[in-house]
Amino acid sequence: MTARGNVSRRTMLRGLGTALALPWLESMGGLSAWADGAVAAKTAPNRMAILYVPNGVNMADWTPAAEGTDFTLPAILEPLAPVKDDLLVLTGLTADKARPHGDGGGDHARALSAFTTGAQARKTDGVDIRSGISVDQLAASRIGDQTRLPSLEIGGEGGPMAGNCDSGYSCVYSATMAWRSATQPLPKEFNPKIVFERMFGADGDKGRKQRDDLRKSILDFVRDDAASLTGKVSRNDQRKLDEYFSSIRDIEQRIERSQSLPPAKTPDYPMPAGIPDNFPDHLRLMCDMMVLAFQTDTTRVCTFVLTNEGSNRSYPNIGVAEGHHELSHHGNDEAKKSKIREINKFHMTQLAYILQKLKSIPEGEGNLLDHCMIAYGSGNSDGNAHNHDNLPILLAGHCGGTITPGRHVKYPNETPLANLWLSMLERMDVRVPFLGDSTGSLSNLHV
Amino acid sequence: MIFRSSSLMVILCAIAASVAPCVADDAAPSFAPVGVDFLKKHCAKCHTDGKSEGSLTLDRYVDTQSLVKGRRIWMAILKRIETGDMPPEEEPQPTKDEVDAIGKLVRSIYEDADRKAKPDPGRVTLRRLNRTEYNNTIRDLIGVDFNPADDFPTDDIGYGFDNIGDVLSLPPVLMERYFVAAEGIANQAILPKLPDPPKRHMDGQYLEPAGKGVPTTKYRPISTKPDGEAIFTGPLHYEYKVPDDGEYIFRSKFYAEAAEGQAVRIAILAHGPGLAQGVTDDEANQLFGKAVPALRPFVILSTHEVQSRDKDKPDSIEVKVPPNLDLKRMAIALFKTPEDQPPVTLHVDYFHLEGPLDTRPKTHRALLACDASQPKEAQTREVLTRLMSRAFRRPAQPEEVERFAKRVEADMAAGLNWEGGIQRALIAVLVSPKFLFRMELDDRPEAAEPRPLDEFQLASRLSYFLWSTMPDAELTALATKGELTANIDAQVKRMLTDKRAESLVENFAMQWLELQRLKTIAPDPKMFPGFDDRLRRAMQRETEIFIGEIIREDRSILDFVDADFTYLNETLAQHYGIADTNGNWIGQPPHRDKGEPIPRRNFVRVSLDPSQRGGLLTQASILTVTSNPTRTSPVKRGRWVLEQILGDPPPPAPPDVPLLEEGDKAALTGSLRQRMEQHRSKAACANCHARMDPIGFVFENFDAIGRYRTKDGEFPIETAGELPDGSKFAGLVEFKQILRQRKPQISRCLIEKLLTFGLGRGLEYYDRPVVDRIAAKVTQGDDKFSTVIREIVRSEPFRLRRGLEQAQ
Repeated sequence: MTARGNVSRRTMLRGLGTALALPWLESMGGLSAWADGAVAAKTAPNRMAILYVPNGVNMADWTPAAEGTDFTLPAILEPLAPVKDDLLVLTGLTADKARPHGDGGGDHARALSAFTTGAQARKTDGVDIRSGISVDQLAASRIGDQTRLPSLEIGGEGGPMAGNCDSGYSCVYSATMAWRSATQPLPKEFNPKIVFERMFGADGDKGRKQRDDLRKSILDFVRDDAASLTGKVSRNDQRKLDEYFSSIRDIEQRIERSQSLPPAKTPDYPMPAGIPDNFPDHLRLMCDMMVLAFQTDTTRVCTFVLTNEGSNRSYPNIGVAEGHHELSHHGNDEAKKSKIREINKFHMTQLAYILQKLKSIPEGEGNLLDHCMIAYGSGNSDGNAHNHDNLPILLAGHCGGTITPGRHVKYPNETPLANLWLSMLERMDVRVPFLGDSTGSLSNLHV
Repeated sequence: MIFRSSSLMVILCAIAASVAPCVADDAAPSFAPVGVDFLKKHCAKCHTDGKSEGSLTLDRYVDTQSLVKGRRIWMAILKRIETGDMPPEEEPQPTKDEVDAIGKLVRSIYEDADRKAKPDPGRVTLRRLNRTEYNNTIRDLIGVDFNPADDFPTDDIGYGFDNIGDVLSLPPVLMERYFVAAEGIANQAILPKLPDPPKRHMDGQYLEPAGKGVPTTKYRPISTKPDGEAIFTGPLHYEYKVPDDGEYIFRSKFYAEAAEGQAVRIAILAHGPGLAQGVTDDEANQLFGKAVPALRPFVILSTHEVQSRDKDKPDSIEVKVPPNLDLKRMAIALFKTPEDQPPVTLHVDYFHLEGPLDTRPKTHRALLACDASQPKEAQTREVLTRLMSRAFRRPAQPEEVERFAKRVEADMAAGLNWEGGIQRALIAVLVSPKFLFRMELDDRPEAAEPRPLDEFQLASRLSYFLWSTMPDAELTALATKGELTANIDAQVKRMLTDKRAESLVENFAMQWLELQRLKTIAPDPKMFPGFDDRLRRAMQRETEIFIGEIIREDRSILDFVDADFTYLNETLAQHYGIADTNGNWIGQPPHRDKGEPIPRRNFVRVSLDPSQRGGLLTQASILTVTSNPTRTSPVKRGRWVLEQILGDPPPPAPPDVPLLEEGDKAALTGSLRQRMEQHRSKAACANCHARMDPIGFVFENFDAIGRYRTKDGEFPIETAGELPDGSKFAGLVEFKQILRQRKPQISRCLIEKLLTFGLGRGLEYYDRPVVDRIAAKVTQGDDKFSTVIREIVRSEPFRLRRGLEQAQ
């Protein structure tokens, strides 16, 4: 690993234990091609991320009273005070497809699966999973070839542990928000070590080319060898084989891209050892991974499910022993509502951390947050009522000056959430007529 | 799909069906007029076209044929009618006779249809190895535990299990992990460039016997002077920690002091505590030195006459140490000096042990083993044929082997050595779909008629079902001879008693019981300070050993719900308040004979007082995962029993559950039970909760981490209850009696779960006759666990395959 600038590796390692006090990478010099000046006269590209928190929030503690620039942050948003001028509070957005529409229970599963897709999840816990392509994957399919990873899917909790997760919906619906197609959900990675390895390789920059070449030659060989299987498996089986072939094609493309893109630079950040036992440390590492991904231009599209929809995790670190989901059905009990607020605030501190990190990293004339748009929210509005209108949604960042943050913007209730995604796609230079149930892009993000 | 428990009649019919049809008349039962009238009278008001409450329209069901087509929906409808869910309370209710009549009619229609249908094995989609199967298969294929799959993304789950072909996906991130894993495995298993054998050098002064007075000179002396301490008489020796199966070279340098012309003879000894046959007493007696007896058993590898008398020109020796000596120490001893001669002295410079000389890892030797007398091309093909046949779980085809061999040869032409070429071929094998998927190749994949799997495919189905890994040598040998089908019962028996059958506990049972959640569950540390990882592990272990015994000892499946034994260690025994192996209570006078104390760490069998605990339902593991972090959840416990044990899950909660308003505090105080009963009084919730809650409340004597209690806070525990069918129970003991009476339902539930797991697909209506038949056999066969497995393995869905949907 080559040292850049004047921060020693030891300094970095010392910082790891105390997650809060990480000396960041700004003093290490640029890690991306333009930040390095390698690509002359090119401005930094925009990046988009979507962060998801489950079980809704108590909207009274979320929605600012005043509209426009002159608003005060309600309790849940308080951790965002240092970056208040960098974010928009968007009120009135609705995920209609999270509603039952005749499918009965399962608001948690639907809330996450409809969040980024604007599509109605098929109620099944088995073979015929179906939602819709998600906004991040739509972006990745168009601009993913410009970076080493088309997109990054991360989270703070693993996949489902058992059974169907919510009233007859497959666990996949409440565990991921990245849908490559209506039938192909992408799993998220929750081990920071593996995220780091995916981005930068296990053994740094050296040996990467040799390994890539070997992999490519083995892929070619295996594909040829597997051709003999055609005609010996049923159509059902062939679908599974096609998944295999499409995945190896994916790896090939990645290898090809990595050979044409500017060389990857592994940041001087210690490779995480694994999943920390302590959940706040774990989440913090995942936040770092997301920031690293954007800083190094490893990808420009990221989804981050902080905890799975319907998560019943307890938060002993902030004195909440009850499960999150259990508490969210608070029945208007004040004690429960206050605990739920503490959980919401804890999640919000993660966003605040990310935004401050992004802001602290110089890029071009300004900083990394200037070229980001980070959406944050839930597909459930009030966790007690399971309603999916008037969702809690934030949008942070300036996205190359195309967003005017520092405001609370109210849209008419029932405005499709997918309209926000459409607007974000436009800012990524991805133009599509619609996404899911969108009816057009959102006005008033920029004034 | 989970179907309702069948009446005894169905079982009897199924038994009789193999002999003669149960109903002589072959005409199908007619839905009209009884069924049609029932619909008109009780359902048409809400469920007709244009007014389809709950998207259900019933006017299309006018005759038997339409009913047969609408099977799935009708099983649900029947359930709603029979449980009293429908018609809604506010509507006129059908009489009990009416309900009985429609139930009987609809079932007879389906039973008739099933009886006339051709047996349908269904269709299994090719299955990707899941994480457990991948780890186990690598272990058995390569020969070492790598556990590479621990870094893989979590497997997708369908029908409650993580081995369902249709559901297991292969996203690009997983393919990347497959690559990383394959490279890691190949790099560890085969070493193209072998390291030099390890060398261990020890100077004379550091040799044993050690102690005060050992000179620090370059040479270490021992002599045959009488009455000397071991330090001065030897033999000199040194301890090594080395693998036993290796060959070594021992080197040393020395010279002697002796009278002019006097011979000095020494022996090189190898001491191995496990040596079957060392030297005899007579042989040992010829050697000199106080330390000789302590070195036995040993063998004499060689003897030498020391030539050198000059410390500047010492003798050097090199002695081969053969394998399998259980080598622990090397030693040099002086022979006794003849009585008429003066003592002699030996000066030893050092001990040097090199080896094992063969530095190929075991995996390397096993994977590359071949007939070395053959030309290299033949060796390549021999190695590849064996590797690929095992990895693909079927005989590798010559043209496949040829393709891989050509690749190895191309790599060798490009500069890799043979081992390096094979190493790359191993990577290619491990990322091939033929390895990653369990393929059941077929020349006519879409042909509709059912046909048997070939023997290798059957071997794989068996081994992944019972062991979650590839077939072992015995299964493969039988398949090769075409004798597996004929010997399948004996194989099932062998496999169930094999250690690998523990995977049935770890994979099947843990998923069946939803116990993986135990790993992450976090009871409130303030309320349950005693809950730590040690207790968590003990809880899991109890359930694993308990189920393991049922499988191994082939006990009745009723033991799952009601047993008079379990396995405890001290941690869990204290948690349960149990003092000894006879189940006496801590702090109470013994009510039975005094048993053995319960060891600290090891689990021992404990007989239980059935009035309190016994069977899975009262194990702390299950009581904990069905609780909330701060309190028990009778609803979760009730749902768990209905779904996992009785196979009769309650429908999901309605979407718009009315809020439980806690504003009116006065109305909502009391024990959990009282509060929940108030909640249940809401009509929308009542029906399902009437099924779940009484079952859940039976377990209220156990808190959220499974401790016994007599009060919930300040409120006394009430466990009496009544099920919707009217059966009443005062508490756990009576409830278990009711469960015992529901044996057919319990065994069907277990059969359905095992069949789903064994086939890797969800069950369909056409599996019903098979489940019925297996259930009948199990009831005949003393409810033994092995009967369930054997009958599943014998069943059509397990042994046959088909292509397209069978024509109805």
